[in-house]
Amino acid sequence: MIPLFYVLVVSTLLFALGVYGALLSTNAIRILMSIEMILNAVNLNLVGFGRYITPSDPRGQIFAIFVMTVAAAEAAVGLAIILVIARRYGAAAIDRVRMLKG
Amino acid sequence: MNLQLLAFMILSLVTLGAAFKVITARFITHAALYLALSFVGVAGLFLLLNADFLAAVQLLVYVGAITTMLIFAVMLSQVEEIRQGAAEEGFWRRILSARFGVIPLAVAAALAGVILYLYRFANWKAVPVAPDPNTTRSIGQAMFTTYLIPFEVASLVLLVAMIGAIVLTMKKEDRSR
Repeated sequence: MIPLFYVLVVSTLLFALGVYGALLSTNAIRILMSIEMILNAVNLNLVGFGRYITPSDPRGQIFAIFVMTVAAAEAAVGLAIILVIARRYGAAAIDRVRMLKG
Repeated sequence: MNLQLLAFMILSLVTLGAAFKVITARFITHAALYLALSFVGVAGLFLLLNADFLAAVQLLVYVGAITTMLIFAVMLSQVEEIRQGAAEEGFWRRILSARFGVIPLAVAAALAGVILYLYRFANWKAVPVAPDPNTTRSIGQAMFTTYLIPFEVASLVLLVAMIGAIVLTMKKEDRSR
């Protein structure tokens, strides 16, 4: 059986990669992808802990399902906002969008 | 036993490598495809962790829906800059610049270091692992009894997100009708 620590290492590395990508890139869609990677790392953590700490209880997996729901909603709304910004400013580069009002 | 560890290593390598390529890929569509590969790797890890239902949901929702939505949005948008994400500048030139490359790397590395340090010295109480439960049945039972209200709220969240996305992306001339 895989030790819990290995799972935690993988999820931490995925999380760190997501943070790195979100901070590094200026393209809004790539930032959205990085955030999805972060949420995936969180899900991996939840499932890993659920498997090893409470193996008879599906609590961790249910929480992961809710995280997935919110991630899907976030992706849809975030993508819509990015498309509106791109249509108005002609760019998806976040450092060129300076105004909150349209 | 050992085979399981081998599968775990391969899946983690695929996941992390694809995640790295998401950040470094030149074109945004390539990044989206690498993202799908990373999601598939995570689904495999879920399978290894005995979460078969969650692995299926991961494949359906993330690979099937979210990645497809990203690719469609990128390819249907008229703005050239979205399509060629790395028209900004080369990734490798950017990563070597002091201000934009080093600070994110330092933040991410510090975060990973602190988290791994905490994990290393944490003392999880080890539970003797039960034989594989029927996860789909137990998830369904818990979802419609204990977690019924969160479940309904989650469906409401999805509905609101769907309506919000449609309203946001509506064109101006449609709005005046």
